[in-house]
Amino acid sequence: MHFYESTIITTVDGIHCQVYGNEHPEEGILVKPKYIPTDKISCDFLPYRFISGKKMNRLNLWIDKDELKQYIQTFTGAYSEYIFKSPIHEESPLFFIVSKNNIERIYSPKEGLADLMSMPERDLDEHLKTVAQFVSFILKSGLELKDFGITYSTLMGHYSPNISDVNIVVYGKENFWELMEFLKKNDHPDLRWKTYEEWEAFYKKRNRHVIHKKEIYIENMYRKKSEGFFKGTLFVIFAVENEDETWFKWGEEKYRKLGIAKFEGLVKDNKSSVVRPGCYTISNSKFISGDDSCKDLLIDKIAFYSRDYCMLAYEGETVEVSGVVEEVTPIKGGKYYRVVVGYFDAYLSERKNDEYIRVIGD
Amino acid sequence: MIYLAHFYESILIDTVDGFQCKSYANEHPEGYVIVKPKYIPQDAIKGEGLKYRFLFEKCFVRFNLFAKKDNVNEYLKQFRQKFPDYIHDSKFHDNWFFVVPKSKIKKVHDSRKGLQELLKVPKNDLDKYLTLVVELVELLTNSGVKSTDLGITHSTLLGNYTPGRSDIDLIVYGKDNGWRVLDYLKDAKHSLLKWKTDEEWAEYYKEHKTSESSHFTEEEYVKHMKRKKYEGMFGDTVFTLFTVEEPEETWFKWGEEKYEPMGLVTVKGKVIDHYNSHVRPGYYEIIDGKITDNHGKDMDVDGSLGIKRVVTYSIPFVQQALTGEEITACGLLELVTPTIGDRYYRVVIGYFDAYVSDRREAEFIKSGL
Repeated sequence: MHFYESTIITTVDGIHCQVYGNEHPEEGILVKPKYIPTDKISCDFLPYRFISGKKMNRLNLWIDKDELKQYIQTFTGAYSEYIFKSPIHEESPLFFIVSKNNIERIYSPKEGLADLMSMPERDLDEHLKTVAQFVSFILKSGLELKDFGITYSTLMGHYSPNISDVNIVVYGKENFWELMEFLKKNDHPDLRWKTYEEWEAFYKKRNRHVIHKKEIYIENMYRKKSEGFFKGTLFVIFAVENEDETWFKWGEEKYRKLGIAKFEGLVKDNKSSVVRPGCYTISNSKFISGDDSCKDLLIDKIAFYSRDYCMLAYEGETVEVSGVVEEVTPIKGGKYYRVVVGYFDAYLSERKNDEYIRVIGD
Repeated sequence: MIYLAHFYESILIDTVDGFQCKSYANEHPEGYVIVKPKYIPQDAIKGEGLKYRFLFEKCFVRFNLFAKKDNVNEYLKQFRQKFPDYIHDSKFHDNWFFVVPKSKIKKVHDSRKGLQELLKVPKNDLDKYLTLVVELVELLTNSGVKSTDLGITHSTLLGNYTPGRSDIDLIVYGKDNGWRVLDYLKDAKHSLLKWKTDEEWAEYYKEHKTSESSHFTEEEYVKHMKRKKYEGMFGDTVFTLFTVEEPEETWFKWGEEKYEPMGLVTVKGKVIDHYNSHVRPGYYEIIDGKITDNHGKDMDVDGSLGIKRVVTYSIPFVQQALTGEEITACGLLELVTPTIGDRYYRVVIGYFDAYVSDRREAEFIKSGL
């Protein structure tokens, strides 16, 4: 079932969720709970936010793994219907799901932006004016308004001018790549890209500095045109897949976990690396280290859930990946192997710091 | 038949048609909540001449009763046609009210619970704006009123506030509590608490000409405003206090009285009780009420019945006069027939229909202070 990633869903239990993929099981929509009310469960290790008249915990996957694990266990007890056991995975990774019955409201990035752009400019505050002006600029790419959306705090209305990012959604992978080309070639007086120093600061956060070689990482980031500043406000552009272009269909493949391993390989195709979950098709894979069960395997795909790895690598570049190795059995076609980075349960274990994708050269 | 339908004033309600409304009284007809529609989706009715706001994924028309009268009239005409369920013709008033039928309520935003939730958030997880809200609440509880008798509303509650720009809107539950807080603020000291000076009120008067302020000289306006403590500054943020009535203390019960509109009048009288003047609707109990102007309309007024009350739905006229002061009011004269007790007259300022008639510019309440 198709449902756009980056859409926001509020649930009947007051949980604010971010849709976390474009393909979903029939049972509901796969999500990441973003804000969770504290009336049933509460965690001092997670940050608190006051949203929609409620004290909420913000689910930050980067807190200490043991504390996160404890919270997820409590969450599972309190909100068992939000945990999905995938029948297409022999051993289901952790998925969060919102069933249709539990949806209170769906906030559509596309409809939200269409409404925003219909407003007279005089009635927009500075943040919304920046959004509208940035969208007017990217519409010069030839894409249409219906190809764009806004999400997160801009969509939900709880942004703070000069603090909150602008999060733009592009509907369709082709459209996204077209927009990236446009942004490479076109300038605007209010547009600037992150400087080397700004990317360096970004690099130092989380465990990026442990994984990547600084110069290569910054170079990889620097060429991305999905993140920059417009009128001094940080913008991030996400791609979501239209129904006819998802790189897999839920239920058309089965997955069996074979182990944890590190491989390298040559990127053959990065067209689907702009979405979540994203995918790189690779060739010439080589086992580097990990479980013996994986050492004779040839990897065809790298799948990832973290946006950090979007558009990281291009065709012809060699990447190194560390993650869960899965045997994939399609309903039609032959078996193949893939490495997955960033299943939710990775954040609850040592895998949190061990999983990654990095470019190691041309 | 007496209806006993209490619903706190100043509470936000989302309706199934996507409206955001604010309750506009504490007593309501059975099955309805009297409201002022605040935001109506643009796709429901286009708001020619009204302002737009982008809230929670949608473009809304901000329903402003003070917009150009022709625009308000036109909007109201469309509203009545498209959403007749949201207009209640009261058989007790021979007048109409905006309402939300209870069957159309999607969500009630609980101001009291919202504040309690906010107070539970560790201070280091609050932004500057919410930190101010919490500090202000802490200050107000020094009055002796408990935080459980306070609430937050509007953008403070919904979270769509803009730090540095949005007001802090607080509710005080209970009339005694309301006066306790207002009295406390007269002398309260806090490094962030500020009141407009006479000069600032004078400046405000010059810059914000409204139909209400047009009845006042600058000097009169400053005198009226400077003693009110329901609006002040905390840090650089404006705060507003709304007092609401508990169920057992509403000053009238819906259906206990019938009101017959007579026409626009200006009256003078002396305030003998201002206790109910800090709620919406609020009123001033008066004696020696005399009509000084019937605005050109002959009315069959029974001189043996007194004009006993000046009632206001308009927030600028709450806490406008104190006991012992002379009051002048211009509004709709009504003959009140209670189920029990004697008939009397009252003057009402700020009914919804006033905003689409000439009464909008005419109505006011002024103290002879």
